[in-house]
Amino acid sequence: MSTPAKILVVDDEEDLELLMRQRFRRQVRRGEYELHFARNGREALDVLAEMPEIRLVLSDINMPVMDGLTLLSQLEEIEANISAVVVSAYGDMANIRTAMNRGAFDFVTKPIDFNDLQVTVEKTLRHIQVLEDALASRDRLVALRQELVVASQVQTSVLPAALPVTEHFDVQAEMIPAREIGGDFYDFFSVDEYRMGLVIADVSDKGIPAALFTMVSRALLKAAARNHESPSACLYEVNQLVSQDNDACMFVTLFYAVLDLRDGRLRYCNGGHNPPRLICQGEVQEVPSSDDIALGIFMEHEFHDNELVLGVGDALFLYTDGITEACNASEEEFGEGRLDELLARRADADIPDLIAEVVGAVEEFAGGVAQFDDMTCLALRMNSNKPA
Amino acid sequence: MANQSSLTVPSTEQDDAVVLCPNGRVDGTNVTILQGAVRERLEAGQTRLVFDMVDLNYISSAGLRVLLMAARDLQAQGGKAVFCNLSEQIRQVFEITGFDKILAVHGNREDALATL
Repeated sequence: MSTPAKILVVDDEEDLELLMRQRFRRQVRRGEYELHFARNGREALDVLAEMPEIRLVLSDINMPVMDGLTLLSQLEEIEANISAVVVSAYGDMANIRTAMNRGAFDFVTKPIDFNDLQVTVEKTLRHIQVLEDALASRDRLVALRQELVVASQVQTSVLPAALPVTEHFDVQAEMIPAREIGGDFYDFFSVDEYRMGLVIADVSDKGIPAALFTMVSRALLKAAARNHESPSACLYEVNQLVSQDNDACMFVTLFYAVLDLRDGRLRYCNGGHNPPRLICQGEVQEVPSSDDIALGIFMEHEFHDNELVLGVGDALFLYTDGITEACNASEEEFGEGRLDELLARRADADIPDLIAEVVGAVEEFAGGVAQFDDMTCLALRMNSNKPA
Repeated sequence: MANQSSLTVPSTEQDDAVVLCPNGRVDGTNVTILQGAVRERLEAGQTRLVFDMVDLNYISSAGLRVLLMAARDLQAQGGKAVFCNLSEQIRQVFEITGFDKILAVHGNREDALATL
């Protein structure tokens, strides 16, 4: 130990102080121990109040003013992490038991065998060290958890809090991270007066590294969306940037689409993400896309644009694999079949209801099995075209 | 936190290569098991790895990341990682994400070993 262990010796016998200083002089000289003395329980409490860093108390039982057993009770009340060793007459089992029940860590008997006392003090100091280390770890853990809570709030706050409400479309999204912070994200933003950008993405792995990568990818895509009309050009740019020096091999599957509200034309590029669903007149189909790849795994990849037209009344459903790969107790997956069946059955549902029903159905299916992946979904229905 | 899914990574040596045969599911809760098994082989200086996925039921993106890392690390050392016996579901994950274009995927173990 770098700083001396402060030990308080409580005894009304005057020669004990001299004896202790004599017996432990080597440890005191080496800076291992620092000895303090009190004549009774009352004095001991005063010393402790002055020196809250004292962790080990050696106390006699029979003393005037305040005896050792009362002192033990008082020590339990003050919230210091003090370990006490009681010193009692040989055979005084009743008092020793009482002392142990009041929280004493150990005892030694009188007349004091200083070798035994030495061993007991060393053992108690080791115990105190373990306790202090555990408390420090607990404090660090509490601090870390607190940081995670803050990180989670930051992450949630960058998702569009309220998706835009217009007469031309309804849109709703939900993200349920498996841990405090997730590796999924979605986004929805105006590209210009007539066009909306929509994004859904899933970063490899979970937790803090994924969350950092999430924030970077999201910001890069939003920046690219300002520079390029074509979704594939945006993905190409983001891919270039995230693939550089990507030693950790992080990657993100990302679907980005630009919807023109004037005619429902949807231009999109799918970077290795689960194909979204198009819900058109009660029919559910995969949104077909070129063979593109996740971002971050191959810098030279050329991405491709695809296009479809979203008719009035048609809806798009975007999701991450946390939805379809949610498992129940028999390790069966929710699967695309159940998703498509639900989307078809509720093809005309209001968009917020549709999102709530999908999430509800997945949770009911999992039946309390812990979620191991983030779940995100976003749905949009075209209500009318915006006049040019 | 979610309970850890079951995963073991038994390995055998065959034709101067190491065949890793992950058994069970790989997801975010247990990916370090797969990572550890790969790292152990790389640190032992083995540069030819076959991932035989015959007993793998599921792999999440966290698992894919470990496979990609193994392939990259081996390539940097002049070695190679190849993959075989993908179940229909895992093949689909490889196809959607584009990993089938980045990683060397083969039908069965013999085909995979032959390319090393």
